[in-house]
Amino acid sequence: MKENILVIEDNEQNLYLVKFILEKNGYQVHVATDGQAGIEKANDLKPDLILLDIQLPVMDGYAVAKNLRANPLTAKIPIVAVTSHAMVGDRDKAISSGCNGYIEKPINPDTFISEVELHLIKK
Amino acid sequence: MAIDEETVDRQNEATLTGQLLRSFLILLMILFFGTGFAQAESQVVRVGVYENAPKVFMSESGKPSGIFIDIIEYIAKREDWDLEYVPGTWAQGLDRLARGEIDLMPDVAITADREKKFSFHKIQVLSSWFQAYARKDSGIRSILDLNGKRIAILEQSVQQEAFTRFSEGFGLRIKPVPVADYKTMFEMAARGDVDAAVTNQFYGAMHARQYGLVDTAVVFEPSALFFAASKNDPKQLLEAIDRHLSVLKKDTHSPYYNSLRRWTSEKVRFKVPLWLQILALIAGVALLMSLAGSLVLKRQVNARTRELWQINQEMEQRIIERTEKLEQANQKLLSEIEERAKTQKALFISETMYRDLVESANSVILRWTAEGKITFINKFAQQFFGFSEEEIIGQNIIGTIVPEVETSGRDLTSLVYNVAKDPKAYEGHVNENIKKNGQRVWVAWTNKHLMDESGQLVEILSIGIDITKLVEAEKELRDTMAQLDKAKVRAESADRLKSAFLATMSHELRTPLNSIIGFTGILLQRLGGPLNEEQEKQLGMVYNSSRHLLDLINDVLDISKIEAGQLNVVSEPFDLRESIEKVMKSSQPLADKKGIEFSSTIAPEIGVITSDRRRVEQILLNLISNAIKFTEEGYVRLRGEVRGNDIVIDVRDSGIGIKQEDMGILFNAFQQIESGTTRKYDGTGLGLSICKKLAHLLGGEIRVESEWGKGSTFSFILPKEGEKV
Repeated sequence: MKENILVIEDNEQNLYLVKFILEKNGYQVHVATDGQAGIEKANDLKPDLILLDIQLPVMDGYAVAKNLRANPLTAKIPIVAVTSHAMVGDRDKAISSGCNGYIEKPINPDTFISEVELHLIKK
Repeated sequence: MAIDEETVDRQNEATLTGQLLRSFLILLMILFFGTGFAQAESQVVRVGVYENAPKVFMSESGKPSGIFIDIIEYIAKREDWDLEYVPGTWAQGLDRLARGEIDLMPDVAITADREKKFSFHKIQVLSSWFQAYARKDSGIRSILDLNGKRIAILEQSVQQEAFTRFSEGFGLRIKPVPVADYKTMFEMAARGDVDAAVTNQFYGAMHARQYGLVDTAVVFEPSALFFAASKNDPKQLLEAIDRHLSVLKKDTHSPYYNSLRRWTSEKVRFKVPLWLQILALIAGVALLMSLAGSLVLKRQVNARTRELWQINQEMEQRIIERTEKLEQANQKLLSEIEERAKTQKALFISETMYRDLVESANSVILRWTAEGKITFINKFAQQFFGFSEEEIIGQNIIGTIVPEVETSGRDLTSLVYNVAKDPKAYEGHVNENIKKNGQRVWVAWTNKHLMDESGQLVEILSIGIDITKLVEAEKELRDTMAQLDKAKVRAESADRLKSAFLATMSHELRTPLNSIIGFTGILLQRLGGPLNEEQEKQLGMVYNSSRHLLDLINDVLDISKIEAGQLNVVSEPFDLRESIEKVMKSSQPLADKKGIEFSSTIAPEIGVITSDRRRVEQILLNLISNAIKFTEEGYVRLRGEVRGNDIVIDVRDSGIGIKQEDMGILFNAFQQIESGTTRKYDGTGLGLSICKKLAHLLGGEIRVESEWGKGSTFSFILPKEGEKV
């Protein structure tokens, strides 16, 4: 049985795409479509990796990352930001909020899995 | 001097007999010898005679007499002059002398005026002065004893004026009693109607005793008396007179002194009764008695003569001393006057210079009192404010040139008070002023307090410069600055809007692209199931187009960020070799696809550098992709070297190359050079432009060498230790 991955993403198509790729590669995928729900799922499931969109309803990705890092139960879970926020400082902001990595949207289907697995291996 | 006549006459009675005898003898001499002498080379000398006994006068018998006559007769005898007397008044005598009608005038004092008209000899004949005479019991010894006394003075005479001056010099209060003649004066003094009488010394010496008066030590207005000759002395008489006088004055028994004695104090001798003289003369019996009397008299006379001589000497000495002092004082006065004239001239020049400076200076120059009253205003200020001097002097500066309230609302009335109160605080001060026509002007003032010796404020000196234009320009500048600030704020907010727009656009464009690229990618990976050949081909086109669209979006985003100055590069250590290898690896499939040689030579010194890894990789990827893209056959070779502080990475290809004329536009945005072939290459045309700008941001640069048809070499020069920009 492969690892559990929590995908927090509000865009239906993107969520479907990521979920599809991950499941095709044999991972157990859980989803949440807003920040608050994401935090709750993370606490419940204690996934092996979280893929986190930044622009989210209710609570944005930066706040979610900070929240998860502040909570001992979720502090150790690797978080990879997946976002189309490609402006200056986005990457730094994500890292400083507690993310371990950063994957720019649109994702490259050829390299996406290897980038995700880079962080899983680090676990 | 007619007053002297009577007294002289009375005196002359005594000598009547002697004179008769003498006249007789002279007559005899003239009868026997006179003609003979006269015919010899004797010179005729005409002498003016007037009434001034005992110095010169006509005796009762009509014969010229007196001291001057005795002396000139003595000299004439020895010089063989033939004297011819010309009687007249004093004034007539001087007139005649001036006209050359007579040759000599006796008893003349030297004055500047007379020196012009006449000539004088050098040795004075007599000293004359005025003297006060008083009764023996009066107790008057000196000038100080005259204080509060009644003094008889000859009416309307020079003595009166001289005596008044003389006594005032001692600060005395004397009651002068003007009297018409000397005789009356002595009579009054004798009766006690006055305390003393002032006469000339000769009259006094001759007559005082008969009134029971004595001379006092009150002596003033001395003068020296001479014979005056016609101008330039044509008969050369003066030299002879001097010669004889010098001899005569040395010997106290000379005829000179005899004459003095005779005319001044002989009355003593003439106290001897007349009958005795006659008796002696006729009988000669009382010879012994007479001899004894003579001896006594002679002693008395000698003593008197000595006294007179001493007085004369003293007076002469006083005159000399006084003259010397006067001359010294005069000299001092002259040099003082000269000095003062010089100083005055210098002062005038200096004053003129400063006045010019103050009046014509291009500054407002004012003086005003602590109360604000204007005491001086220069020409420039008058013109500047439009007030004339008459209009403004004495006026308060408030309400004339200083408005009560400034346009800004500041109260200037209190300002004036403050300037007067605290000079230091308002030494340099700018305030609004007003012209007569109501125009407001700005003036930069320098205020200075003018103090007197005791440190009391006298006036305030204010120098002002019109800075209205400056103030207006400053205001304009401030307005412009304010506008610029607003524009800047607007521009900044526009920039923020642009950034926000770009961020939004980037996000919004990428989200759909994410689906397109993602799903086509999945399908092409057969994750969605098997594909036939046509499906794969068409999905491949969708995939490539969407990738191209993504590149385009990324490039536009980069260019926008660079141009907005929003693209910041980081500066952190990373392994450049690793980055090069990574880029090579990702580009390898492209080269393989075109079947061209793709290799690299990286110098062993290349390792960790400090720069922005992502941007360096972006540049390298761009250069390599370009090289592969424009090379159909041959090679693309990368070579990395260290040159000094720089890393140089050359990407050389054997592609189509670039025409010389296209080199200039090579790095321009949105310019893809026409290849000259029918083939149009993919690409946004932004790549090189972005590379060049990024290289600059990293402190490096991109250079290119190319030959049309043979290939190009792009060089990326990057500092090993890049600074954060």
